[in-house]
Amino acid sequence: MEDKKETQTNIPTEFNPDLNQDELIMQRHREIEKEIWESTSLVCEKEELSSLEAEYITDEVYQGKVKDLLRKYRYIRRTRPDGNCFYRAFAYAYFESLLNHQREYESFREIIMKNKSSLMTSGFSAVTLEDFHETFMEVVDVLSKGTSAQDELFKLFNDQGYSNYVVVYLRLITSSQLQLKAEFYQNFIEGDRTVAEFCHQEVEPMYKASDHIHIIALSSALGVGIRVRYMDRGQSTEAIAHDFPEGSHVHVHLLYRPGHYDILYPIDTN
Amino acid sequence: MASPSPSERRLQKELSSLMKDPPPGVSVDANAVYQHLNLWNVHMKGADGTLYQGEDFQLQFRFSSKYPFDSPEVTFVGDNIPIHPHVYSNGHICLSILTDDWSPALSVQSVCLSIISMLSSCKEKASTLSIEKH
Repeated sequence: MEDKKETQTNIPTEFNPDLNQDELIMQRHREIEKEIWESTSLVCEKEELSSLEAEYITDEVYQGKVKDLLRKYRYIRRTRPDGNCFYRAFAYAYFESLLNHQREYESFREIIMKNKSSLMTSGFSAVTLEDFHETFMEVVDVLSKGTSAQDELFKLFNDQGYSNYVVVYLRLITSSQLQLKAEFYQNFIEGDRTVAEFCHQEVEPMYKASDHIHIIALSSALGVGIRVRYMDRGQSTEAIAHDFPEGSHVHVHLLYRPGHYDILYPIDTN
Repeated sequence: MASPSPSERRLQKELSSLMKDPPPGVSVDANAVYQHLNLWNVHMKGADGTLYQGEDFQLQFRFSSKYPFDSPEVTFVGDNIPIHPHVYSNGHICLSILTDDWSPALSVQSVCLSIISMLSSCKEKASTLSIEKH
């Protein structure tokens, strides 16, 4: 592990063979990435899905997929591409839907309270777990106000203090679920890492991006069905859908473009 | 939002937990911390039965306003810097949870435990940081 903190304050003005040049380039790359992130709100306002068409004017493969999406979805809500986007997009989309479904909100609240005890046995420090749980519940409790809390929810998700606490708590739920069913998930982990190591390196830290394995774990821990529409270079003219867990009732629709998740709103519900 | 900030609130909780239930050989000067909540001095004793038995160390924790989303900056300070392959002579510690693998679910307590375990597992005191990646 190179010493990043040190090189940050010590950017050399001339070539210094002791410093790793690749590391400096990576560093600059990360700074640029960070500037891009910070220009996007954590959660943006809803916009017409047709706004995607303009992004892919010169690209036939993507254009075909946008057309396909437009037959099924009406709006898109973008999220900040900071590696936390899966958790943030999922939480916002699901919480927003709970505003309209109070009975489901009640049962979600129960699931969260029950789930807390399995988090307690997953080896997280009780102090930090309690801290994240409290703030997470503050946001969850806002949902009991129903549709009148729409603006409040939007504000909370754009306030780092709350929004990132929600992300962390979902990361902990994901990690705990992976470790609880380690025998099953071990098959999907590449390399020599154990499930616990994978969780410490790829799930629990902020800004680490999510893959199928994270989505399966979170959706099954919470019993919330997630449909991800994949918009990639694949030759299909359709933006292929994957439901997590397979065969579940879908609550949340997300759009995946390489490295990033945004929220989709189906035509029939909005 | 009312004061204290989430980061201060979190640090206060961690401080009382660390005072109530410190890892073996670890103590914190609470009075000094109350004055500067973002700068902690933690005393650490070399664990019995290890190469560092009988030695006393000082760790400094510096927290940004983005803590716990940003990792704390943790260095050994004072006149006794442990001689260890992953500790620079200026006190800087090479530990993945302090950079890439930091998670907001970690804490001062878990960082202390990792450092104790890093020191305790050392088989041979080496005075320079090895360059190879680990």
